[in-house]
Formats: sequence, C-alpha cells, structure tokens
Amino acid sequence: MNRLSRYGVVAALVVLFVAFSLASPTFLTFANLKSVVVNHFAILSLVSLGMTLVVATGGIDLSIGASVDMASLAYIEVLTQNGSPALAVAAGLVGAAVVGAFNGVLIAGLRVPPFLATLGTLFIAQSVQQLFTDGGTPIYLIAGPPRPIFSLVEMARLWLVGGGILATFLLFGASVFGRRVLALGVGPAVARYSGLPARRDVAAVMVNAALLAGVAGIILSSSVRSYAPLSGNAYLLDAIGATFLGTTFSAHGRANVAGTLLGVLLLSIVKNGLLLVGVSFYWQQVGDGALIFLVLALSFSSRRSQ
Amino acid sequence: MRLVSLRLETHSLAPVLRVGAYGAFGLIILVFAVAAPTFLSFGNLANVLQQSAILGLLAFGLTIVVIGGGGNVVQGGIDLSLAANLGLSAAIYATLIKNGQSDLLAVAATLAAGLAVGALNAVAVVWLRILPLLATLAVSKIVNGLEFVLTQNSVVTASSPFLTWLSDVGPFGVPIMAYALVLVTLVVLPAVQSTPGGLRLHAIGAHPEAARAAGLPLSLYIAGSYLVSGILGALAGVLSAAYLTGSSPGSADILLSVVVAALLGVVFSRRLVPTIGGTLLSVLFIGLLANGFQLVNISSYWINGVQGVLILFVVACTTLGRREAAA
Repeated sequence: MNRLSRYGVVAALVVLFVAFSLASPTFLTFANLKSVVVNHFAILSLVSLGMTLVVATGGIDLSIGASVDMASLAYIEVLTQNGSPALAVAAGLVGAAVVGAFNGVLIAGLRVPPFLATLGTLFIAQSVQQLFTDGGTPIYLIAGPPRPIFSLVEMARLWLVGGGILATFLLFGASVFGRRVLALGVGPAVARYSGLPARRDVAAVMVNAALLAGVAGIILSSSVRSYAPLSGNAYLLDAIGATFLGTTFSAHGRANVAGTLLGVLLLSIVKNGLLLVGVSFYWQQVGDGALIFLVLALSFSSRRSQ
Repeated sequence: MRLVSLRLETHSLAPVLRVGAYGAFGLIILVFAVAAPTFLSFGNLANVLQQSAILGLLAFGLTIVVIGGGGNVVQGGIDLSLAANLGLSAAIYATLIKNGQSDLLAVAATLAAGLAVGALNAVAVVWLRILPLLATLAVSKIVNGLEFVLTQNSVVTASSPFLTWLSDVGPFGVPIMAYALVLVTLVVLPAVQSTPGGLRLHAIGAHPEAARAAGLPLSLYIAGSYLVSGILGALAGVLSAAYLTGSSPGSADILLSVVVAALLGVVFSRRLVPTIGGTLLSVLFIGLLANGFQLVNISSYWINGVQGVLILFVVACTTLGRREAAA
C-alpha cells in the first residue's frame, strides 16, 4: 500500500484542521477543542475501540449500540430505584456484558456468522428496551435529588476514555491475548490448527467490546442524566466508519487502535467544524457524508493503483 | 466472515434446511390461523401483501447486490443506502407534488434520484474500489442528509391522483400496492433467476475468478446491480409516499428489516444462496408475523425480538447442521 493511501486519513485531518481554523476563529480555541473531545470524541472512541477489537478478529458487531443502551438502561434503572451508585455502575457493566456474552455464545458456541449473530442480538435488545419502557419512553433523572455519581462520572470521563485507549493499545501491542486476536483475524484456520483457543478468544473479545461500549453508555447517561431507548444505534454506523477508515492507516489494511482513533477524530472534527463554519444543520449531514466519502475514495483508489 | 457458506459440500444438507424453513413458515401460519380466524381470510392476506410491498422492493434491491457481490459482508456486496434512498425518494415525490407538479414529473424525478444514488454507489464500489459496506454507508449519510435538507426533517403531506390510486383498493378488493409487489416480482424474479444476465450475476458473485476467466465484464454487472438497487429503492419511495400520503422522517428504521429479509431468504433456496424467490418468502414471512401479532393482540414491541430470535434460530440450525454434515 502506498503512502497516500496510508496517510490519507492523517492528510485529511491536517487539511480539515487548517481549513476549519482559517474559516472559523473559534475552531482553534482551547474551549472548542475541549468540546470536540468531550462531546464527540469521548463516547464514540470507546464504542469504536470495541468495534476495532471485534473487527480485528475478522468479525463485526452490529449490536455495539445495543450494549451502550443496555448499560445505560441498567445504570439509570438502578439509580431510579435508589440503589447505590456503585451498584448502578456495576449493573450497567453487567447489562453490557450480557449483550457481549450472548454474542459470544452465538458466535463461538453456535458458530453463527458474526454479522447475523449480532444483528439478531440487536433486534432482541431493541425489543427488550421497548417492552421495558412501554414502547420507548425515556427515563429522566434530571429533576429529583442531586446525584453525585453523575458529576463524578462526568469529571472522570476523560480518564475513563484514556484508560480505555491505553488498555486496548496494551492489549494489541503487549499482550499474548492481543497477538492471538490478531492471528485470528489474519488467518482463522491457521490460528485454529496452531492450537490457539480461538473460540474462547472470540467470546472474550465480544464481551470486552461490549464492556467498552457499556462504559460509553454509563458516561452518556451520566452527562444527559437520563436513559433514552435505542439511542446507542446512533453510534453504530460512526463506529463502523471510524474503524474501517482506520484500517487504511495500517500497512496491511487491518483494524488498529491508532487508525480507529484517527477515524474518530476525523468524524468528530468534521461534525464540530461544519457547525462552526455555519453550515446549516441539515447540510451538515450531507457534508459529513461527502467528506467521509472523499477520504475513503482517496484511500482506496490509491491503494488500487499500486 | 461468510454470511452463509456457499460451499458445495453443504448442498446435501440444503433439502433438510429448506424443509425446516418451510416447516417453520407453515407452523407459524397454522398457529395464527387457529388463534385468529380472520388471519387466513382473503382480505387479510391481501393486506399483508400490501404492507410487505415496500420492504419487498427494498429487499429485492439488496438481494440483487448480494448476489452480484457474493456472500461475504465485508468484502462482498451490500447496499446500506437503500433505506436512505427510500426516504429521499419519498421526500422528492412528496415535495414535488406539494409544489403543484404533475405525477409524471414526480415519478421521473424520483426514479432519476434513485438512479443517481445507485450510480454513486456503483462508482464508489466498482471504480474507486471502496468496500461496499463503507461506500454505501457514506452514500447513505449523504442521501439521508439530502432528505433532511429537502424536508427540514419534517412531515411533508402530499396527495395526488396517482398516489390516491396507489393507496386504493383495486380489482377483487386487493390493494393496488399488493398488485405492485406482485408485478415487480414477476419482472425481477425471472430476470434475476432465469435470464442469461441474471445467471451471469449469480456466477460473478459465487465464483468471481471463474467468471473473470470466462470473460464476463464483472465491473459492468456489479455496477448494474447497484443501479437496479437504486431504482428499486426509488420505486419503494413512491409506494411509501402513497402509503403515508407524503413523506416523514425516520425511513432509516427499515434498513435492518431489509437486511434480515435478504439474508433470511437464503434458507428458502435450494442451494443456500440468495435468490429473489427466497427473499420474497422471507419478506412475506416477516409480514405475516407482524400481521399475526397484531391480530392476536400481542404488543408490537415483541416483533423485533421475535425476528431476532428467528434469524438466530434459522442460522444456528444452518451452521449446526453443516457441522454435523462435515463431521
């Protein structure tokens, strides 16, 4: 793969960064860049890192948004019942882990192809949420007694995101488990014949991905102080987009943490930049899609010409 | 990451699965027929057909793309822009009618828009070599955004003679949209399953290298499959404009059902490959399920979950059976 293709995402980031800085005086302020990180980057990066783990094994997780939702639902529900904050956080993580474990059983146990397995999980999780909330009524905890856990999570969220990034970096870069995951993605048959515990690893990856998304769900619910059913799906397409944009950054076209983070950064900056430049809300969506399309075209067409 | 294996050795198993799939289909019809006497009435079945028309057209589009791209989701063919295409098409139709344009112009503009969406997908996938999953994802964002721009994310009500006729009841008390689904099936089914062009598309998807060696123009066929998908998306948009007397935001919700219909259809086929007939059956299956739930008064919130369980059940049976066959 040649350089243009590999650094297409980086080049696009630089160009956009310069363009937005020139077009809007507020873009390059500390307050704005902080808002990009806090509002866009934080949650999407955790969800996308989960997706990256799964894609690295050669799979895909269409239910990653459902993990966000189930964590958010369990977390808010326990708080509503006046459970302790620690219990609420634990419930949230368990909610997400259940989604991941269900995927793990389907993919590793029953050998259902990941695309269909996670699609089925997504549908079931949607029904669960609809049944639980009487068709999709959000649970608000904006009023009522002050809940210190919300402010605590809000203060800690950048640390949580940083922790998630560090953990996935170390997992891929410095752990035996990470090497096995990569081996699975590159040559599943070879990995199996070499005696690697492929099925157990795939199940573990599905649970870990769901947990990352679950942390995102808890952060999301803490900052909006509510649970809105089926809201996690909004992150699904962006997470897929970021992960696969990130694959262009790898020399071998594989999912990788740095690439994914660049992808998330690109998507976040585009959203924020178009807003600041004063593009109408409706045209932002078009601009968003068009820019991603251009980056993809740049990366993939130059890959072919080699 | 194969969706459903298309390897030859699985074929001995296909009859068992097919019987199982048809059996499940029959069982569900039986249960609902007993639980709700009106379920099997002619009028109700006609309604199911009407309600399945939009999903059916979209699922045909996706099936054609999957046939041409092969069963691999990441590297192979998939069209995630169909739902956005449906939304934009309905919005264009409704907006033109609302501004006093004729039905003829509205139909032409809608089809042109659908064709443009298909062309953008084709350029992205065939010439720019972007992964279909990503290419159609980006296109769906753009198309969705254009719908936003056009409608400002609000409901556009529109009624015209053609739309009224489309949503009306036709001969024998069957809704016109039911006839529309039948008509499209009658065109698409033989075209994809029996014409030389259709068979070549199957060959390209299943064995691209062999097809290339045989001298087939792969790019042309694959580009064509995205164009046809775009047109089917636009036609579904016209039906949707008639069904909802205009357009309303939120068309994206149908995407997952479209994917399910196209993928579930595989088990209804003789060799476990995507076919138009199989897709039609799974569309009707989903339609009957939703309708039956309504008739026996089960909350519609269950429908997604049951669909999910159904996919998992069918696919798990497929894979388990295949493992036994291989052992």
